[in-house]
Amino acid sequence: MNLNMNSMESLVAQIQGLSGSIADVNQLHSLLKQSEDLFQSELARLAPLLTELDPSIHSLGYLYILEACTSAPISKDEANELVLSVARFINLCAAEQIRLAPDKFISVCKRFKDQVMLLEDPMRGVAPMLTALRKLQLSSEQLTTLHPDFLLICLLAKCYKTGLSILEDDIFEVDQPRDFFLYCYYGGMICIGQKKFSKALELLHNVVTAPMSILNAIAVEAYKKYILVSLIHLGQFSISFPKYTSSVAQRNLKNFSQVMCELETCVLANNEKFEFDKNLGLVKQVVSSMYKRNIQRLTQTYLTLSLQDIANTVQLNSAKEAEMHVLQMIQDGEIYATINQKDGMVRFLEDPEQYKSCEMIERIDSSIQRIMMLSRKLTDMDELLSCDPLYLAKAGRERQRFDFDDFDTVPSKFTI
Amino acid sequence: MDFSALNDALASKSYDQIAEICDTLMLQVSSQGVVFQDEWPYAIHLLGHIYINDINSARFLWKRIPLAVKESKPEVVAAWKIGQKLWTRDYAGVHEAIHEFNWSPEAQGIVASFSELYTKSMFELLVSAYSTISTQDTALFLGLNADDAANYSLQRGWTLDPTSQMLTVKKQAVATEQKLDSSKLQRLTEYVFHLEH
Repeated sequence: MNLNMNSMESLVAQIQGLSGSIADVNQLHSLLKQSEDLFQSELARLAPLLTELDPSIHSLGYLYILEACTSAPISKDEANELVLSVARFINLCAAEQIRLAPDKFISVCKRFKDQVMLLEDPMRGVAPMLTALRKLQLSSEQLTTLHPDFLLICLLAKCYKTGLSILEDDIFEVDQPRDFFLYCYYGGMICIGQKKFSKALELLHNVVTAPMSILNAIAVEAYKKYILVSLIHLGQFSISFPKYTSSVAQRNLKNFSQVMCELETCVLANNEKFEFDKNLGLVKQVVSSMYKRNIQRLTQTYLTLSLQDIANTVQLNSAKEAEMHVLQMIQDGEIYATINQKDGMVRFLEDPEQYKSCEMIERIDSSIQRIMMLSRKLTDMDELLSCDPLYLAKAGRERQRFDFDDFDTVPSKFTI
Repeated sequence: MDFSALNDALASKSYDQIAEICDTLMLQVSSQGVVFQDEWPYAIHLLGHIYINDINSARFLWKRIPLAVKESKPEVVAAWKIGQKLWTRDYAGVHEAIHEFNWSPEAQGIVASFSELYTKSMFELLVSAYSTISTQDTALFLGLNADDAANYSLQRGWTLDPTSQMLTVKKQAVATEQKLDSSKLQRLTEYVFHLEH
């Protein structure tokens, strides 16, 4: 006991002494790894030790002790304390130190998330989780396992706008497929809430078409939302999948699209089903977007049309209602038209964009830059893959067999 | 809670920053475990979102507001009413919602400024969407009475047909910046050259 007491104290002293240079911190890290058993046996005495450490300077040591502290089950009162101290640590800790022990950091953050949800106050977790994932990330292209947790907390706390901030980053590095599935699914829901349907569609599309060897529930739910968002945003939905979709998804997801047959009758009939899936709101938006779609279709046929005719063809109750629909669509830039109230007519116009303004050139330029960057990434990945020993071994084996077969038939004819 | 940044923004009439300031502060204090709901300036926060036309965020904020606050603070409800009218595109209703409530001194500035902005954007919408429109409807959209609405638009070059009470909209020529600086042209040329060779 006495020995333990001493070694705990000496450990604290070590942490305090070895938190300066990189070499020191590395040495401390191996020391801490060896002491993990000690932490487990001394759980009760760990919490007071934290007061002797400064989270911003002794981040690594603090992290190890905090992780051990949080591993024990706790009561609701303690949960409050814990949430506060973890939030404080996340805010103050030095990113370069905690990145040495990412597993410990992730485990602390995950428990933090669980506690926040247990306290039924998800908003307390939003800011710390964002800070945590930014500190854990090596670059903004990396998807950490904290991404989906952060998005989930944002959804629960109804802080959609904050969640949107990480969805703007282009992700290229993914460790765990599950993280990616959840990230795209929750991200899609955030974008739906903010009515950013094209981004939502992109994210949900990623879930559906991502490589998978067995069907998972995330993909199924994402697919349902994908169909609905696609109907809202594009007015149509294609049953066929892009060819890079995994065969598992192609085979199994088809069944789920049958619910979406004839819209209006379908909505009424399947009300309960949609409600159960928590998709009823989206379904309602699909129905109201049908008016828009139909008006948009008219612009392709007619140059001018009376408001009454629009109301009749689109099945609105009055000319005034048609006028309001057209007005809204003009406001949103979805159609180009002018309403003539005197004659009760609408004149549909061409898109005034002539693609020669400075702004448009900027946009084209930035799109080209992005595509070039993506293409570079792809080339890099291709090169990396073609140097991969595992890949080469497999590809080499196949080629050899092929060559062997070729050789086999030819000499056999000659030996006879 | 430190509301100095918010108060500064209100004092300097930088209303477009209010939503951001409030959002950040709210996340910050809630992560510190502070119970802020009772003294939070929800009305200003809502108006901040409405001011920058972020009705989605206003809607989610409204959903976060505890029931007790909604019941005890009529100004919060009144602020959300503006958001509601914007959400349902009840153009005339927005003006009504602005005028029917007696705003507190803190909110008055931002509401007045929003009202002005909204009238202006409505006028621009009318210019882009209509070739002729009745004075009555113009008045509804702009939140003015019929005479004021007619005057407002006549000043901006519209013409009035007195028999039918129809206003003819004058389209404004939109001047877009089309002058290119040579470096951009150079870049685009390089792309095309690269693609062709």
